[in-house]
Amino acid sequence: MILKYELKKIFSKKINKIVLITAMLLAVVFSGFAITSVRCSDREGVVHTGVTAARKLAADKNKWKGKLTEEKLAEVVKSRQEYNKKYGEAIPDEEYGKTIQSYNDICAFLISVLTPDSEYDGNVLYQLTEKQTEDIYVVYQDHIRKMVEEYGETKEQQKFLKKQYAKIQIPPVYKSADSWGTMVLYAETYGIILAVICGFLAAGIFAEEFHNHADAVFFAAKYRRTKAAKSKVIAGLLVTTIVYWVGMGLLSLISFGVMGVSGFGTPYQLEQPYSIYPMTYGQYYLLAVVCGYIASLLAASVTMLTAAKMRTASVAVCIPFFLFCVMPFIGRMFASYFVFFRLTPDLLLNVMGCVKDLKLFQVGGIVFRQVPVLMLLYAVISVLLLPFVYKSYCGYGLKKK
Amino acid sequence: MGLKLDNVSKEYAGVQAVDHVTYSMKRGVYGLLGVNGAGKTTLMRMLCTIIRPTHGEITWNGRDIFEAGADYRQILGYLPQNFGYYPDLSIYDYLMYIASIKGIRPAAAEKRADRLLGQVGLSRYKKRKMKTLSGGMVRRAGIAQAMLNNPKILVLDEPTAGLDPNERIRFRNLISELAEDRLVLLSTHIVSDVEFIANEIVLMKDGRFFFTGTAEELVSSMGEAVWNCTVPKKEVNHYLKQYPVANVKTIPGGAELRILCKEKPTEHAVHDDATLEDAFFLYFGEKAGDKIDTEV
Repeated sequence: MILKYELKKIFSKKINKIVLITAMLLAVVFSGFAITSVRCSDREGVVHTGVTAARKLAADKNKWKGKLTEEKLAEVVKSRQEYNKKYGEAIPDEEYGKTIQSYNDICAFLISVLTPDSEYDGNVLYQLTEKQTEDIYVVYQDHIRKMVEEYGETKEQQKFLKKQYAKIQIPPVYKSADSWGTMVLYAETYGIILAVICGFLAAGIFAEEFHNHADAVFFAAKYRRTKAAKSKVIAGLLVTTIVYWVGMGLLSLISFGVMGVSGFGTPYQLEQPYSIYPMTYGQYYLLAVVCGYIASLLAASVTMLTAAKMRTASVAVCIPFFLFCVMPFIGRMFASYFVFFRLTPDLLLNVMGCVKDLKLFQVGGIVFRQVPVLMLLYAVISVLLLPFVYKSYCGYGLKKK
Repeated sequence: MGLKLDNVSKEYAGVQAVDHVTYSMKRGVYGLLGVNGAGKTTLMRMLCTIIRPTHGEITWNGRDIFEAGADYRQILGYLPQNFGYYPDLSIYDYLMYIASIKGIRPAAAEKRADRLLGQVGLSRYKKRKMKTLSGGMVRRAGIAQAMLNNPKILVLDEPTAGLDPNERIRFRNLISELAEDRLVLLSTHIVSDVEFIANEIVLMKDGRFFFTGTAEELVSSMGEAVWNCTVPKKEVNHYLKQYPVANVKTIPGGAELRILCKEKPTEHAVHDDATLEDAFFLYFGEKAGDKIDTEV
């Protein structure tokens, strides 16, 4: 019953209602941005955006769905080279809409395979011979071996990299995954907003008795330092969970409902062939969303602790903003110099960047990738802070004699 | 047995808010009188286990109240001076929340909340948000929350502060009604709040209890010390400087003074019966109320 009324207190506050409505409206707005960001050219070269564009684009690209065999790749390369010979870079819109758009992802995959550690260069595709195209997967595996040697600083790391790369499906099975790729970006941006909102809501739970001068009645009650304080912690976690998943669920539901879910099982390596995260686009999206949830839990725990310690929410609500909005700028400046800046909490909301990074961490003989370290580290910190939140709140007024 | 304070002190940054207080309370209404800053609220917060004393011990039926913890708070009701609430909750939800943290089962809490809302005259407003209530209604909701667990000890800190005279009388009667069979400790700096309902009065000044007894004992402790006299206008200031003057009433050509002193202040002064208000003024001086304008 305490928990029920603790939640009622949160959801009945006017400012919280405004914040929650804003969060839900933003989910709709972000869905709109995601949906309209997909562009599809028709056979006449007219570019379409809007609710039907993503599905049309997927249908167009899915002409090439299935295993990307050497023969299929050769067909794509041949077609693309012919267009290049004929038009150079100035490809007419109708030609792009008619043919090139459908295999653009495959071209991008080939270019990425051929330029493992250098700038993306479209010209490599035009110089590719028939023999080289036939041997593309041999080249791919050869490059993987080189990546293992280059990025594996120790034997353990090399072994780890080999193990991860061995999981990559070669040849990959293609299916258009534009909706998933687009949504990771929007989910991460929306995740920042949700983390800040969750921090705001959670901070209020531990500050409102002091803010409203209701602390005296609260601390004179039977369960003030036991069940009541515990319920506050649980309410903070519950509100974070509800708000995050409802918000993210709404964003996903609207966006995928409109754009479709084509490409859930498409390997992410089609976009980043040398990524050390062998996963599908669907898993990629889930990973980003779960990392966002951990970021929200962290925001809630930190703000609850600060509010419980300081008896006010004003400083606490600024912390998530600093962690997720200011920290990325600081991190970017120092990431190359200090390992710490590769493990800052804002990276939980930049999975897109992390999965491209080949950085490994090693403790003894155990090797970790960045994202699992971030997930484990901040999930553990979020949980470990909770007893301190409880203790700080319960300790109010009870200084030793 | 009962609630016992044994040499209790509370110090804040070198300031002795409560200074070695020893006192026992049993059933009945105890009126704690003192000017603002006397230490009443600090004492009450200690009695409600919100803050610990720096020194001394508070026991309920022989058991330290801080050790007793939840067992003690189970029989405690508290209406603080700055009664805060959750503005966006309805009165009913507010009471149900407080009931939940007081450990009252939902079914019992519902019945109790309904009954108390009726008793304090808020049944009609139970769905109204706390922030929409008048000052008097908020105080009544406050007493209802304090009574939810049918406490054996009811601590009311300045319960009538900010209320208009009608509300104050109504509130006083309500407290009197609720006081049956329990210990009520009522702090105030308004004498009339406790004059008619307190069984025992405690005067507190600078963190110490310097008088405890009934209202009659307090009044009689003054002896024959109240004099009414009429003085010419030009002599008013002289009397105001010379004696504690409880009341000044201007009349044509002079003023009627109510002087508190042992010896007869003027030849024509007439002795009058002392009131609790006189006693309060005598013991607390000008701090007892608004500063008297000495320039008449």
